[in-house]
Amino acid sequence: MTTADDTRLAMQGTIEALTTGDGSEPVVVNLGPQHPSTHGVFRLKVTLDGEIVRDAEMRIGYLHRSMEKLAEERTYTQNIPFTDRIDYLAAMSNNLAYCLAAEELLGVEVPPRADAIRVMFAELQRIASHAMANGTFINDCGAWHTPLFHMFRDRERVLDMFEMTCGARLTTNYMRIGGVAFDLPEELLPTLESFLADMPERIADYEALLLENEILHARARGVGVISLEMAINSSLSGPVLRATGVPWDLRKANPYCGYEHYEFDVPVGEQGDCFDRFLVRMAEVKQSLRILRQVIDHLPDGPWLADLPLHARPEPGEAYQRVESPRGELGFYLVSDGGPAPYRFHCRPPSLINLSALKEMSIGGTLADAIVTLGSIDIVVGEIDR
Amino acid sequence: MTTQYDPAAAAEIVNASAPGAACVDGGVLFLEPGQLVEAIETLRDAEQSDLVFLCNLTAVDQERYFEVVYHLQSLDLNHIILIKARVTDRDDPSLPSLSGVYHGAHLQEREVYDLFGIRFEGHPDLRRMFLWDGFPGYPLRKDFLQMPGQIRAGLPGFPHESQENAWPVPGSVPQRPQHPNDPPPPSEVTVAETDGEGAS
Repeated sequence: MTTADDTRLAMQGTIEALTTGDGSEPVVVNLGPQHPSTHGVFRLKVTLDGEIVRDAEMRIGYLHRSMEKLAEERTYTQNIPFTDRIDYLAAMSNNLAYCLAAEELLGVEVPPRADAIRVMFAELQRIASHAMANGTFINDCGAWHTPLFHMFRDRERVLDMFEMTCGARLTTNYMRIGGVAFDLPEELLPTLESFLADMPERIADYEALLLENEILHARARGVGVISLEMAINSSLSGPVLRATGVPWDLRKANPYCGYEHYEFDVPVGEQGDCFDRFLVRMAEVKQSLRILRQVIDHLPDGPWLADLPLHARPEPGEAYQRVESPRGELGFYLVSDGGPAPYRFHCRPPSLINLSALKEMSIGGTLADAIVTLGSIDIVVGEIDR
Repeated sequence: MTTQYDPAAAAEIVNASAPGAACVDGGVLFLEPGQLVEAIETLRDAEQSDLVFLCNLTAVDQERYFEVVYHLQSLDLNHIILIKARVTDRDDPSLPSLSGVYHGAHLQEREVYDLFGIRFEGHPDLRRMFLWDGFPGYPLRKDFLQMPGQIRAGLPGFPHESQENAWPVPGSVPQRPQHPNDPPPPSEVTVAETDGEGAS
């Protein structure tokens, strides 16, 4: 018997057990490692009673590259490209968080123009990442790829801007300790202006199509609910935490790169379900556009990189710096022993820790709801496994 | 702006309920491993500390001992504190688990167990997370320098490659299929004589 026959028989057994319902034994179904809903190589082992999820257990590590060990043998500057590959959908935010931590260790003052450029790219990255998150979430809800590709048009324009600034679209390696690698190219600001001019109309389109959509409501309202207390106790962060009603945003709570000078709101949800997470991300894109407008209007002149030796050796000590990445609290904990490379390099991955409550969110719902819940958490497997 | 919560104030709160559980050394709050869970529960529930959010949990191998590092945050009072606990037994390191205090500690403690080998007593599901069961050693320890046993890094060699090149032999200088520093392999391809683009 071939493997294909095996698979077909196993699938038949699963389908029979699912459809017979009452009195049947629980069935264990593996979602993944290769499954469209897992957005990477991630395995969710669910135990089903009929169609109801009784247990959910995640198996991870398929993408483990042992970055924290590798980083201990490379200098502080050489580690910046690693951070691109931690969360490859938000490379700019990862660069930024790592550079902030290294700057705290080294005691570097960042020039104001570099701060403004960093805010600009962190917010552009948030728009691109949320376009991906919302698009794939709606994809998981059943709107097969059409909304995803509509949102990818916006993401594409952001990636074009990354490309014209630093030559790379995904793994940007743009931030440096003490600033950014290059100044803005001449053509960036006009492109950004036209992007900002087009986006409100685009967002209005998405809202008209999606917010009142009956199918989206049926699939996402009241699904994957988590209470405020449980969310805090589970260390959830980012849109998943804010959807429960906690206005906790590190850009407000612990401003970095001069975020205290920009006016923006922190959107929160009410019920902590999948739909609220989607709404929070939609609203955050609008706030990012507001911040971008203010950055362009008050872009300071001057140097974009502090004067710093390439292989700086920080004093022995430690630093924990975090930023509000599109997925939540992204922190870097660095320990220095005075050498050219970090003694310990730890990334606090929001994707992994946001999965802490996945089991609680999924149990009791249907298998289809578990997929929507996983989509709404917006995981990046590179960041989970590192 | 998030402020640093004064470790001396935190130590006072902890020592009031569990004497001798906390001490401040060099501006960092150290907790006794034996009373760790009670101490952190006290800090979470006390009104003036209110450390309800476990930001980050990780470990550092300081060679003579392990340091488990906790960053706790108060969302209402907006302060953060760094707490450390030392594990001195390198052969069988263990520490009480915080998973009963913070649900968010589950996965982070599993990660530390996986990569440092520190057992968290009382953790409901302490298994390896990224690496497979039976993986020899704990990679983030400073004495983990190469893969022990028969486990070899990298991909196995392709069938057409010679077996000598296929895997690095443990304990020797690792040989790899290709590296920029290697001398070029003997080529079997003969270069045809050409006349412009066409073969002569």
